[in-house]
Amino acid sequence: MNILLCCAAGMSTSLLVTKMEKSAQEQGKEHKIWAVSGDSIRNHIDQADVLLLGPQVRYMLPQLKKLGEEKSIPVDVINSVHYGTCNGAEVVKFAEQLVSK
Amino acid sequence: MSKFTDVLENKVMPIAGRIAGQRHLQALRDGIVLTMPLIIIGSVFLILANLPIPGYNEFMAGIFGDQWATKLSYPVGATFDIMALIAAFGIAYRLAEKYGVDALSAGAISVAAFLLATPYKVSFLAEGAKEAILVDGGIPTALMGSKGLFVAMLIAMLSTEIYRWIIQKDIIIKMPDGVPPSVGKSFAALIPGFAVITLIWVLRLLVEQTDFESLHNIIGEVLGKPLGILGGTLGGSIVAELFVVLLWSCGLHGSNIVSGVMAPIWYGAMDENRLAFQNHEALPNIVTQQFFDNFINIGGSGATLALVVAMVLRSRSTQGKQLGKLAVGPAIFNINEPIIFGMPIVMNPMLIIPFILTPILTVIATYIGMSTGLVAKTAGIAVPWTMPPLLSGYLATGGKISGAVMQLVNIAIAFCMYYPFFKMWDKKSFAEEGGSETTGNKIA
Repeated sequence: MNILLCCAAGMSTSLLVTKMEKSAQEQGKEHKIWAVSGDSIRNHIDQADVLLLGPQVRYMLPQLKKLGEEKSIPVDVINSVHYGTCNGAEVVKFAEQLVSK
Repeated sequence: MSKFTDVLENKVMPIAGRIAGQRHLQALRDGIVLTMPLIIIGSVFLILANLPIPGYNEFMAGIFGDQWATKLSYPVGATFDIMALIAAFGIAYRLAEKYGVDALSAGAISVAAFLLATPYKVSFLAEGAKEAILVDGGIPTALMGSKGLFVAMLIAMLSTEIYRWIIQKDIIIKMPDGVPPSVGKSFAALIPGFAVITLIWVLRLLVEQTDFESLHNIIGEVLGKPLGILGGTLGGSIVAELFVVLLWSCGLHGSNIVSGVMAPIWYGAMDENRLAFQNHEALPNIVTQQFFDNFINIGGSGATLALVVAMVLRSRSTQGKQLGKLAVGPAIFNINEPIIFGMPIVMNPMLIIPFILTPILTVIATYIGMSTGLVAKTAGIAVPWTMPPLLSGYLATGGKISGAVMQLVNIAIAFCMYYPFFKMWDKKSFAEEGGSETTGNKIA
């Protein structure tokens, strides 16, 4: 599964990416997880199965939800506590739930 | 206090969200961001040409000849001086992308429209002459740089609005069946492009009849000057910073949103300083992009590096210890989402107080430091906001120790502001953990 994360510059979210990769690896799952900045989403969304936004850019949700509908992938905002504490396992679970829905 | 968070959540949040989601502001910011890598590269050459090391000048001149500094500055001109040109393309591109129309064509048309608004006249000072004369036939580099930024912004948005309006109204040259689709596509930009170019052309002809003579002069007078004054004062800086931290207090990316409005002003101010720095003149502006990136928001918006330091050194609670460990790495590079969402500061009245007050105090302190001349002003060197403090203060001021000292002072101010609130938070967390160091929810 390909999980695309997005925040303003893609930097703080990349911190979460490493935690998510670690957690996925521990569970023996093969996920491709990467983080990009808000302005380059359009170049990456085609490869993604799910798009997750950092809570600080949740104002982009309506706009990106529309884009997600076009590409028929789910788009949602990461829980801010999971985000702040870099809880990789929970965010991976959240992504999986969104896709399986 | 819960009233305060209520107001934030229900009143400020929706407005902030709407402003932040506004596509023109987003395009503006994203388009200007396109100039950043170039400016950072140019800055490296700018620093190398102006290293404040005794004997450096003579050493370089000895190896590369007297003209070494001028030659080292070639890349500076090629990067800084096309800021507006790149922005004209980038803003139009990003806006067209948001409308779902062909971004590349929109960008190209916008660049042409921007050049059309610019008189091809270069001022020339002949040898021995007292006054410069205007010479035809050259693209004026001054207007391609930060001086042309406002014109570039407005034209990029105007031309892209016209472009997408015509495309969306489906006014295009239709090719008969049998013509290959890509041929038809190549004509698609023709009508909107024609409309844009004609409009800007007519505007230019009209303006040439007035005393302003060019669109650049009008926009500079009407928009650039007042905004520059607004953004360059202590009061303006405090208001801008207040918005940044208020938005972050609701969990929204404050600096990203505010920079949509302020970036052209602060980058313009940065570039004015850069020109003065290159010519070894007095730096005109205190408030620049680097003023905020490198001096105010040390450790991230809200100047939270000091808070993280307190957390690492003085936490009794398990939560504090673990969060400190997690947050200290990013904090050195001015990233503080772990603190903002993990502690959390968002919607937490107790921590919002120092989060809002601290950067206001550091704005005031830095402004006083720079306006009295105790601290060197930023020299127009585009130090990325992720550059760790002390180093960034040294570099941003063009290699002045006083820059790093100012950052130390700001960190100390932040530490004093945050410490009592941190202690309250830590005590509370410690109590919630049952007062024992081994229990508590594990973080990360």
